[in-house]
Formats: sequence, C-alpha cells, structure tokens
Amino acid sequence: MRNPYEVLGVVPAASSADIQKAYRKLAKKLHPDLNPGDKAAEEKFKEVAAAYDLLGDAEKRKRFDAGEIDAAGAERPPQHFYREYATSDGGNPYTDSSGYADFIDSDEALAEFLRRSERARANRRGRDLHYSLPIEFAESIAGANKRLTLPDGGTLDVTIPPGLVDGQILRLRGKGAPGTGSGGPGDALIEVEVRPDPRFTREGDDISLELPISLSEAVLGGRVRVPTPTGAVTMTVPKGSNTGTIMRLKGKGGPHPGGGHGDQFVKLKVVLPKGPDPELEEFVSKWDKGKAFNPREDGTS
Amino acid sequence: MTMTKQEFLASAGLEVQTLEFWIEQQWLIPEQTATETNFSDKDVARAHLIQDLKGGLGVNDEGVDVILHLIDQLHGLRHAFAQLHKEIQVAAPTRE
Repeated sequence: MRNPYEVLGVVPAASSADIQKAYRKLAKKLHPDLNPGDKAAEEKFKEVAAAYDLLGDAEKRKRFDAGEIDAAGAERPPQHFYREYATSDGGNPYTDSSGYADFIDSDEALAEFLRRSERARANRRGRDLHYSLPIEFAESIAGANKRLTLPDGGTLDVTIPPGLVDGQILRLRGKGAPGTGSGGPGDALIEVEVRPDPRFTREGDDISLELPISLSEAVLGGRVRVPTPTGAVTMTVPKGSNTGTIMRLKGKGGPHPGGGHGDQFVKLKVVLPKGPDPELEEFVSKWDKGKAFNPREDGTS
Repeated sequence: MTMTKQEFLASAGLEVQTLEFWIEQQWLIPEQTATETNFSDKDVARAHLIQDLKGGLGVNDEGVDVILHLIDQLHGLRHAFAQLHKEIQVAAPTRE
C-alpha cells in the first residue's frame, strides 16, 4: 500500500484542513457513485478513502507518523456502492427519465428505443401486499370464508380451503397494490396462522383427540358425543374399553390433496368420579376378582 | 434480500430520526407494505452514498438533494443506453 500522504498528494506537514481539502477534491472525482461507468474509480477511491481514514483522524495520524501503525492498518471493509444496484433492473424506484425525456418527444428512431425503456418502467406491476390472518383450528380443517379488514379500511374476502396448515400462504391474484400504466396490480399474499385447539392434534391429514369416558361407559359400553372439527358426532364405545383404547372415526380428518379425507383418532381415557365415592369403594372392596387382577403381572413395573 | 427497519438502521449505521428525514426527502424510497417498511441492499448502498456525501465530501442537505437527483437521472440514462446498446447488438451483430 502506498504512503497515504502520497495518495492524497499532500506533504507530511500538511494541516488537517489541507488534508480534508485534498481528500474532498479527490473523492469528488473518484467516488464510484459519482462515476458509475468508471470501473477503475472504485480501486482508486478505496485507496484515497483509506488514506483519509488514517490521516483525517488526528489520533490515527499521530500513531502513523510515530510508526505505530502502517498504511495497511487503515484498510476499509468492502463496501457495496450504490451504482452496483442502480442499473441492475428497470423496476428501480429511484431511476429518473428526465435526463432524456426531451429525446423521447422527438420523432427519431432513437426515440423509439428510449420510449420502450421508459414504458418498461412506466408499466410496472404493482407490489405484492402481505397480510396475516389468524383462523381457528376447526376452520383450517373444514375450510371457511373470512373477511380481512385492511389498514386502509377496505376489506378482502378470503376463502380458506379445507385442510390448510399453519403458516400456509394464500395468494389472491390482483389484490395487491395497483400497478402503473398497463402493468397489472400485484397480489395479496396472506399468511394464515392456525390457532391451536387444545383438544385436537393434527398429523398430516389425521387428527387425534383424547376423550374422557366414565367408568360405567368403559365397562358397559355406550354411545358418547365426540367433538370433531366439523361438529360433534356420536360414537359407540364398545363394552370393556380401556384408557388408551384408540377408536377411529373414518373420514373425520383433514382432506387429502387427491380427494378423500384423513381420519380422526379418538384415544379413550377412563375417568373416575370426582371425590371419594363410598358406594364405589364398597363395591370395589367386595369385588374379589378385581382385586386378584394385577395389570403389572407382565413385568410392566 | 429485504430487511426490516431495525435491520436497516443497524446495517446502515443510522439513527431513526435521520432515516425518517431521508425518507421524507425521498432520498430513500423503501418498499411499503400494508404493515411494514422493507429495505433492500440497494437502499443500504444508497444510504452509504448519502453518508459519504454528507460526511467525507462535506455536502449539505441541499447539495445531497441535487446530487441524488442528477445521479438518478444518470442511471436512468445508463439504463436506457444499455438497452439501446442491446437492441443494436441484436439488430446488427458486430461484423468480424
């Protein structure tokens, strides 16, 4: 790396005002964003900027003069200049055509090219707008029609397809910001958040639910009401059911992508009546066979 | 790549008041969505340019305004020129 005094073209005895003046003079000429077509400008500017980083700071300059740090100590982290982005695409919101608008008004062959370039920008498609929409678990399985209120007071009707999963994004074509010229409007992108339902868990298209049943329903069997995302249904609990017994409600899960539905699995859980029940205690104490039965016999415990 | 306002402030090293002033002046035009403001790498690079102008180059606010306007015109021209160049290449490929 060159001596920073040489880079800035000042004598080592130069005042800090002189150094600043020298830097500004060079930077105006060399700043890559002020010279978008000059590839060499970037390297030169970096050298000048690094030299100024060193000499423009009184403390660093003192250390450099004393030999404590060398010119390489002032190397700058790589910087992306604006010019790298400015001409990259036609949809740049900053780009301005007033630099050649007069040529467009003329009727020459050149004008046609320029006009096309102008149109590409003028007919820009509108932006996509992002929204989020929370829905209930049951709505995610059964589908629903929701109305989204927009920040500007408008509304958007959203059809939730059955079987939607949390985080899924719905695209409503043409419901985004308006475009300019013949560029159509953008899309509305709606991220759907499914509120969990403590009763249900979902795995793929299947749904699981834990259903409490009474001791008499477990022993004698019976008909019970079971909640499903599409409403409660009646299910028959067979005689002698137990905690952990899993029943299947066919077709009560979420829809398959190719048609048909998943299932709802109902895991039974036998629940004794709350509080001590003298009648039950008396009954069980007289039940010899029940006392003889050891569920841990198979080595479970 | 887009970033949020906070990420932008951090990567451009700006104060929030400064950013608001720059947006007000239309020196920066971030993407506004219904709920948030998104910034791109392009906006970061443009912010660095404004910082260079105001800092190292000692340009005042009025000067920044004029310079950005001219730079934007220059890039408009460069874009048009690049396209013209492309069209000419298609219409009349370089002879050997």
